[in-house]
Amino acid sequence: MRIQEALSMYDKLNILTDAAKYDVACTSSGTSRKSDGTGIGSCEQSGICHSFSADGRCISLLKILFTNECIYDCKYCVNRRSNDVVRTSFSPDEVCELTMEFYRRNYIEGLFLSSGILKSPNYTMELIYAALYRLRREYNFQGYIHVKAIPGADPELIQKLGFLADRMSVNLELPTAESLKALAPNKTRKNILTPMRLVQNRMTENRQEIQLYRNAPRFVPAGQSTQMIIGATPETDYQIIQVAESLYQKFELKRVFYSAFVHVNDDAALPAKTGEGPPLLREHRLYQADWLLRYYHFRAEELLTEENPNFNVLFDPKCNWALKHLEEFPVEVNRADYKILLRVPGIGYKSAVRIVKARRLGSLDFTDLKKIGVVLKRALYFITCNGRMMYPTRMDEDYITRNLLYAGEKLPREVTEMGYRQLSLFEGGNGYCEDGICVQ
Amino acid sequence: MKTVYVCSDTVTGIFSGIYDAWKAGKREEDCEIALRGQLEQQLFCDYVEAEETEHKAAAVEALIMKHLGAKAYHDIYHAVLSSDPKKGDAVLGTMLAAKEIPDSTRIMEHLSHPKVEKVFELCRNVFGETHSYKGFLRFCELENGVLYARIEPKNQILTCLAPHFAARLPVENWMIHDVTHKTFAVHEAGKQWVIAFGGPADEEVFKRVSDREKEYVRLWRGFCKTIAIESRTNPRCQMQHLPLRYRREMAEFCNNSH
Ligand code: SF4
Repeated sequence: MRIQEALSMYDKLNILTDAAKYDVACTSSGTSRKSDGTGIGSCEQSGICHSFSADGRCISLLKILFTNECIYDCKYCVNRRSNDVVRTSFSPDEVCELTMEFYRRNYIEGLFLSSGILKSPNYTMELIYAALYRLRREYNFQGYIHVKAIPGADPELIQKLGFLADRMSVNLELPTAESLKALAPNKTRKNILTPMRLVQNRMTENRQEIQLYRNAPRFVPAGQSTQMIIGATPETDYQIIQVAESLYQKFELKRVFYSAFVHVNDDAALPAKTGEGPPLLREHRLYQADWLLRYYHFRAEELLTEENPNFNVLFDPKCNWALKHLEEFPVEVNRADYKILLRVPGIGYKSAVRIVKARRLGSLDFTDLKKIGVVLKRALYFITCNGRMMYPTRMDEDYITRNLLYAGEKLPREVTEMGYRQLSLFEGGNGYCEDGICVQ
Repeated sequence: MKTVYVCSDTVTGIFSGIYDAWKAGKREEDCEIALRGQLEQQLFCDYVEAEETEHKAAAVEALIMKHLGAKAYHDIYHAVLSSDPKKGDAVLGTMLAAKEIPDSTRIMEHLSHPKVEKVFELCRNVFGETHSYKGFLRFCELENGVLYARIEPKNQILTCLAPHFAARLPVENWMIHDVTHKTFAVHEAGKQWVIAFGGPADEEVFKRVSDREKEYVRLWRGFCKTIAIESRTNPRCQMQHLPLRYRREMAEFCNNSH
């Protein structure tokens, strides 16, 4: 292992940013707060993007590791013990100063602090706690903080940390226990789920405390999230969204993030390099499906099955579902229930709300839908206005598939010409967007 | 004959024009609100210069609040800050349309009315630009410790941005310079923000940054470069989210010292 003395601040930041960049979450949403006037910082419910990096991802938080030293040896990770890389750590004060100075200049919404494991989980958590404590209490920082809880650390420590952070996350790392065993030999499923449960329970208690005492300190007010790596292990999309669904239901997570596997190490246990780059389209489809689970009232087993366990390359999960359930269409826009409207391809979350409001004032036709933001070239196969379809349409899967593709469904060009690499993850339009994920 | 009320491009101006048209009891097709300097001269129209007063503006605000409600006022206020020369007319049209429906507080739901639709669109646009600048605006620290930001917005968004930064940086002295509209939002630590017009002739003051400023800009640029994952490079997507016009004043993209 290389340890270099006296690295400049610039070099440290470079190393500890580089080591943190594979963590996907960079959102600052989920809580709202004004500065109390004594320090700097506030939070906006919807979060704010401050920049976009060359990979098109939003930069919202100062995303860094406290240290890239690590006693573990996870096969997919740049920082694993067996890699020969320059190691360094911040001091708590350095973390505070960077955060404050970046924040004043409006570079960032806050801090996302993660870490390799230095000496032991407890030792590392103590250091992280010291940094956050100083940032909150001495520097009086009131902006957003996302912190990683380290599996295996004392519950006490995790609890203390939760009162300083807005969001906490414990990475699930991989979708199944077997995969974890294969690629992260020092971690266990139990070790990961225990702190997750702890944070969940503490959040529940905290909600009651706040009901009783309005000024009680808040514990992880922006909720808990996690992330898993996609494509390093053989799980199907179906398995992955089932895991996500149960995390939402049983652990009340706010978000599950999916991180397309990026080859940083050569290791026999990892899939072979293919030259195709990270599975970005797959990651994108999972985010869309995740949306459908959280906001569109879909269940995992509606979207995929054992027989058909992976998402379609050509269509988003909602469109794919609709094509397989043509018996439920067309629906009458002027009467259909809100939840049914949500299931129509081309009708996003906001459009559905607008339709329900607007139709109370008079019946809607196709021109009105267009104004509302419905993407008619997709929706037209699935809806009627006052009993009429926009064009005569056969309710036939092949026919509609062909027409949708002909009408320029967004993906084929990228899929055929450039492979997944250049794929834009961001389909524009009026669907509900979050970190650039759209479902319509 | 149609009457065109001509007013200046300010909230007071536009509301005064609306006040005059409203007072005259005009119907939608008989009147229009136009901005001075952005007129398209039409035949067979009367042009009337609106006399602009705070009193008229306050009366229109109260009228909208009372009959259309606070939510609609919020939308209308944002629409009036837009750069679209037809904004005043859209607002007046919306107010007149509200008279025709049973529950005037629901006017903003009538998107099939072209003027209402226009207000809705303008408001969304102003709101969107404000939100973008909440993230993309960059302060630099001047020699005297003041945080200074330059922006070139299309719409007049300073009054929407200032409260956000006042809530966020209450203990700082800061200044946001709207270059397009030659306006400043100025905040002194611990006090209310104010809007100033024109401003100092000496632009050089804004170029003299503090010693450590350059170092933080360097750190930030390094961070933005390193955080990108190379195998995911996607300039098209970056462009979609962060159009070039914002980048001119962003430390991580531009090369000037502030
Ligand atoms: S614990 Fe595993 S994933 Fe985390 S830094 Fe160490 S090697 Fe990487």
